Amino acid sequence: MNRRGLLALAAGAVSGLLVRRSPSAAGELRPPGALPPGAFERACIGCVRCAEVCPTRAIRFPPGAGLDAGHPFLALRESACVLCMACTEACPTGALARIPPVPERIAAEVRIGVPVLDRKACLPWSGQGVCRLCAYVCPLGTAAVELVGPQQAPLFHPEGCVGCGLCEEACPEEARAVRIRARPGGEA
Amino acid sequence: MTLRRARRYVRVRRAVLAASVLTVVGTPFLAARFADRSWPSGVFVGATGAARALGVELLDPLLTAGVALSGGARRGLLVAALPVLLLVVVLGRFFCGWLCPYLPLLAVSNAVRWALARLGIPTLDLRLPGWIRFAVLGVVLGGTGALGVQLATLVYPPALLARTAYRLAFGLGLGGAAVVVAVVWLFDTTVSRAGFCRSLCPGGALFSLLGARSPVGVRRVASRCTDCTVCDVVCNLGQGPMTDRVDAGCERCGRCVAACPTGALSLSFEGRRR
Repeated sequence: MNRRGLLALAAGAVSGLLVRRSPSAAGELRPPGALPPGAFERACIGCVRCAEVCPTRAIRFPPGAGLDAGHPFLALRESACVLCMACTEACPTGALARIPPVPERIAAEVRIGVPVLDRKACLPWSGQGVCRLCAYVCPLGTAAVELVGPQQAPLFHPEGCVGCGLCEEACPEEARAVRIRARPGGEA
Repeated sequence: MTLRRARRYVRVRRAVLAASVLTVVGTPFLAARFADRSWPSGVFVGATGAARALGVELLDPLLTAGVALSGGARRGLLVAALPVLLLVVVLGRFFCGWLCPYLPLLAVSNAVRWALARLGIPTLDLRLPGWIRFAVLGVVLGGTGALGVQLATLVYPPALLARTAYRLAFGLGLGGAAVVVAVVWLFDTTVSRAGFCRSLCPGGALFSLLGARSPVGVRRVASRCTDCTVCDVVCNLGQGPMTDRVDAGCERCGRCVAACPTGALSLSFEGRRR
């Protein structure tokens, strides 16, 4: 590279650094083991290996060509995460920190999001009958969701929940009461 | 180099390229079929640019540089980048001529240019100055650091093609990555022959930099050369083997070597020392 090339590289880098920081895609659910928002986007190279090994195809990539096009997200309503941890094993850059598929490690380290329940839509809470589906499919049991009262209404414990979305996937179509949302503050 | 050796050389390059394209197109289709985890991802996962074969990571230096510069590097990233990095230091910009999955599309682009020329429809062949690719590389790497988003993966054809193949394999339609590739292809076809590869691709620019001291290059035996210009004409990247004007932008594809009618050219170690 000659002097002109070096100058161009430096000028390009400076102009690149001057680009205004765009609002980060906080609020997207990332695959298990994902670094906190910001750090994740810096480390992810969009190689799609996580999506390729995902057995439930819960991991998707945005269809567009924008700044977030190279970052995986989860569509839990359509397809929940079964916590196999294959994506964390496939990730080449550590954007998804490796978590061994051991129940204790998963319960302690996976923090995809938190469950948010709309009690007006939830069948037992709104007095429309007994349902229990969310508690039935939950892999973490009473640590994440308890059934309370005569209607067996679900009571979620965000601190004990990994955010796999099996409850969201199982929640009846007419209710759609529980949703996994990104953690407030974005901490993984 | 004898004609037979030169032809064998072209065959080897085509086989390597076919294997590369096969990983990019084939692995997502296999993954879509074996998503129940019966696919041995411990043996092979990913595609050209971000593959892992038998536990060895083969990461593209451009993507690795982006991660490192934006402060997203984890432990082990350098180790993952090392195999390809060493290859680039020794072989220079070989990725562009041997492995880039965009090459088949570039071949189509050149064929279309040739056909248009035969039909009497003029196509532009803009020659952008050489420093532009370094400016693009600077913008991509600088912007990656500033935005905290890997820009290379949004403009770099190998990454775009890998995502397009994944979308097609998983039945998700073409998507924005394919649109960017289409824009690149149209640029190469109508504005400048292999213009993106030559003057705009950040990967090509980085490989030229890393491989600036590569000992492998095109060597010309002046006594056999008849100044027929065939080598200069077949070169996609605007190099001038006939006049010994080959710089770090050479992709070591060997087209000039195979095209030389008198066997005056060869690709060899210490080729650039004359």
